[in-house]
Parts: sequence; C-alpha cells; structure tokens
Amino acid sequence: MRKTIFLCLIVLAAAPIGGAAPIRVVTSLQDLASIADSVGGERVETFSLAKGYQDPHFVEPKPSFVLRLSRADLLIVAGLDMEIGYLPPLLDQSRNGKIRPGNAGYLDASTGCEILERPRGIVTRAMGDVHPFGNPHYWLGPGNGRVIARAIAARLSQLDPPGASEYRANLARFEGRLAEGEKRWDAALGPFAGTEVVTYHNSWPNFLKRFRLVAAGFVEPKPGIPPAPAHVVQLVNLMKQRKVPVILMEPYFDERTPKTIAGRTGARLLTFIPSVGGVKAASDYVALFDHDVKVLADALRVATRP
Amino acid sequence: MTVFDVLLPAFVAGLILTGIHAYLGVHVVERGVIFVDLSLAQIAALGATIGYLFGFDVHSDRGYVFSLMFTFIGAAIFAFTRPRHSTRIPQEAIIGIVYAVATAGSVLAMSKATRETEHLKEMLIGNVLSVTWNELGHIALLYAAVGAFHWFFRKRFLLISMHEDDAVRQGISIRFWDFLFYMSFGFVVTSSVAIAGVLLVFSFLIVPSVSAMLFTDRLGPRLAIGWSMGAIVSAVGVYLSFVLDLPTGATIVATFGVALLLLAAVRPLVRRRRA
Repeated sequence: MRKTIFLCLIVLAAAPIGGAAPIRVVTSLQDLASIADSVGGERVETFSLAKGYQDPHFVEPKPSFVLRLSRADLLIVAGLDMEIGYLPPLLDQSRNGKIRPGNAGYLDASTGCEILERPRGIVTRAMGDVHPFGNPHYWLGPGNGRVIARAIAARLSQLDPPGASEYRANLARFEGRLAEGEKRWDAALGPFAGTEVVTYHNSWPNFLKRFRLVAAGFVEPKPGIPPAPAHVVQLVNLMKQRKVPVILMEPYFDERTPKTIAGRTGARLLTFIPSVGGVKAASDYVALFDHDVKVLADALRVATRP
Repeated sequence: MTVFDVLLPAFVAGLILTGIHAYLGVHVVERGVIFVDLSLAQIAALGATIGYLFGFDVHSDRGYVFSLMFTFIGAAIFAFTRPRHSTRIPQEAIIGIVYAVATAGSVLAMSKATRETEHLKEMLIGNVLSVTWNELGHIALLYAAVGAFHWFFRKRFLLISMHEDDAVRQGISIRFWDFLFYMSFGFVVTSSVAIAGVLLVFSFLIVPSVSAMLFTDRLGPRLAIGWSMGAIVSAVGVYLSFVLDLPTGATIVATFGVALLLLAAVRPLVRRRRA
C-alpha cells in the first residue's frame, strides 16, 4: 500500500502536462467524484479529498492533497461554505491559478441546485443556527444529482471539446440510471409519505423533502455541542407523542445521545450514509440512495407493522 | 510545482517554531508549568469565539484583538497565581482549571452563536501543511521581536525561572516579570497554534527541552541540543509525512516521540564515556 502510494506520487510528479493525459478532476466530496466519473468516463481521472466515511466539514490535509490540487485541471466543490474549514489554505498552497474561484477549472456544484433553508432578509438570533448560504447537504436529493451531472458535463466539454460527444452520451446514461433509481426509491418509500423522523443534525432536508418525509426534530442542533437537557426532554416527549419511529444519523457522529433518546422512545437509531464510499455498498451515487432507501424502508416497514 | 514546493513551507515553519519554542521550553520546563501553552491557547480560542459571537470573523484584525486580550488576561492569572512556599496548591492545578473553564466557555459561547459554528474549531487551529509564506514572514518577525525582548532581559527571566529564591532575595518584582513572561509567551503560542495546531506547538515547546536535559544542565548546550533536535525532527517528520502520505502535523509529533526515545537510549553511552 505504502509503496503504491509512493509510486503514484512519483508518477504524478513525473507526468508531463498536456498531451493525451486524462482530465484531472479533484473534488471535495466523494459523491461529486462519483458523478464526475460517471460523466467523464475514461477521459477523466478523479480524486476526492474527503472520503465518504469522513465528516466532509473537515478533512485532515495531507501532502498528496496539495500535489493533487496543484496538478488538477478541474476542482469541483460542494460550495455553500462546506469546505471553508480546510480547502482555502490548501488552494493557496497549490498555486494552481486554473482552479481558483472564477476560473474555468473551478466548479461550484451547488450552482443551479435546489438549496433549502436559504435565509431571507436579516438573520437574527431568534432563527437559531443558520447557514448563511442555505443547507449545504443538498446532494442528498437525487434531483440535485442530475443538476450536478449536467453542470459537470458542460464544464468538461468546455475544458476538453473533443470529448463533448462522449460526455453527452455518458450524461444520458447517468440520467437514465438515476431515473430508474428514482422509480425504485419512490416505490419503496412511497407508502410512508408524511412519516415523521428525527435526524441527528439538520443534514437531510433535501432527502426528506424528495421522499415526502418530515423532520420532526434534531438531536444535536449544533454538531459537537451536546444538546441542553431541556432540548432532550422536549425531543423525547415529542417523539413519544407523535410516535416517531426512527432517528437518522451519519456514521461519524457520536451515538451516545441519540442512543439514549432511542432507548427512551422506542425509536430505532439508523446509520444513514451521507456520501458515496461511506459503506462498501454505497459504491456510487445511485448505489448510495439504494442503500439509504433500503435501510429506511426496512425500518419503517417494521415500525408500522400492526 | 514539485514535491519540494509543497513541503518547504512546512519545514521552514518547523524551523521558525523550533527557534522560539525550544528556548521558551527551557523556561516552561524549569518552572514546571508544562501545560501552560495549552491553557493559554484555549483562552485565546475562547477570546476568538466570543469575538465571533460579536460578529468579528476569526481571521479579522478585531477577532485577533479579542483573542490577544483574552491571552493577556490569562497571562495575568498565571502571574498572580504563582505559588509561594506557604501554599500547597501547585500552579499546574490552576493551569488545568483555567484550561477546563476556558474550554467549557468556548462550548457555551458556540452554543449561543446564531451563525454556524461547525467550522470554528478548525479555523482556530491551523495546519502546518497549509501555512503560507506570508504567515511565515509574519511570525518570523513577531518571534524575532519576542526573542530580542527575552535576550535583552535574559538575566531576569532566567533568574526567576531557574533560581526563584535568589530573585526574591534581590528584590525583583516576580509578579511583574512573570506577567511579562506569560504575556510574551501568550503572543507566541497564540500565533503558533493558529498556524501549526495545538499538538505540534506543545511538542516543539517541551520535547527539545526535555531531550536536552537528558544530556546537560547548562543553558548553552541545552539550547544547542534543543535547536538541532527541532530542526532535524522537522526535516524527518515532513519527509515521512510525504513518503507515507500522512497528516504532516501528527507525523512530526510522532517523530518527536521516536527521537526522544532514541536519545534516551543513547544517553547511557554518552554518560559512560564522560565518566
């Protein structure tokens, strides 16, 4: 493994720029890399900074990240301040003008996507925890996956005009797979429309909205900051009263608090995978939804059995 | 851009950190206030968080003023709680209490923030891999100034750190000089943590100083050993982090640990030859 990495880096260091080399795409999320792979096919080579099992808000930088960025032709970010904790200094360090914001090598995947909870007007304390640009977990709605794929196809065609027809064909194939997937997912979750769920953090609004589920509350409104006791009591009462069957949580958060709450309410704590690569089964963007939808549908079926 | 370009800033950062921290580490170890840097860094973080609560961004000038003000308050606390012979409360206890309360304070402040705080912790703690030349120039100047200040008053600072009783006998105002010491120390630690992270700064402060004490008690050789060790460990750590593709800061810290073990292993040989 070590040797492979080392060899890879040497090859990277020696690879000449230009020629028939693949378009080098670096993404912040593995989901974006997966979509870029689907659209780019053989013509691109993708690398994701955050792996699917990591908290995408912060990634521990490694030397290879800077090298990858310095040689990238296209950087695709989730935007909405998702990467602000680690990417800007790495981008400075890479000294790669092509992938700076505003240039053709920089693509903010959130552009054109349906972004929820974008605050309007003046932000006040009464509104609670606010993301100034809206909720950054938007790729968890399959409709946004389609928007992202189209944007990537358009940008790749711009950077690599000879590949345009190939990108178009790949995009059509991806959209076809996604449409088929949506039929499956609608069929699985359709019977549970309107069901109330609790999520660990407010990271699933696009997913819930798409499948007509409702977030009844959140365990930790701010990740890393334990909820106040009054909040826990309120949440437990609310869940009992409305018979909320499940709590959804990402694998990288601490499960002690949600476990306690699940124990007191009889709800099931489900590990929901937020990104491609979070578990083996979630091997690409479509498989990610296949996995999550199955986990949720199975649990809801058990919970609603008379 | 080559591998060298990627790793050079991290290595230079290691050299700059070694320069000031190996020296301050001698004071810190002599005084037995090992965790004072963690405590001061936490106070600075509390200041930045509270500044953020008032709407000043972490990396803005006003945000910096906030964290600096809190650091000075911390310096005052440590200067005025220096234990005398009559008390049995060790200063490490005070340092630990300040650390815990400041950490809790940051958590409370973040829980009251209206803006998102998911990134705040990461923004306060730097990463040595992503340090820029600009930042390096900035801290090089700052540390040179602090270094010059300590060089100018070296007799006082060293006397208080190493022979407190003599200093008292000479009628030196220990509290005043302690305040100056912790203030200058806070200046350095706050900036270092912002570019290199807590773990790395702690290692640069303590490990070279402790390693040198294995071999000598004299100040000159101690500094020479500490500086050489810091420089070598920086180079080796940065190189290893590249070859193994591991996070750079943590690799340097682990390298410090291994280097200390190696030095401890050769110590008996050196001592025997001398005897």
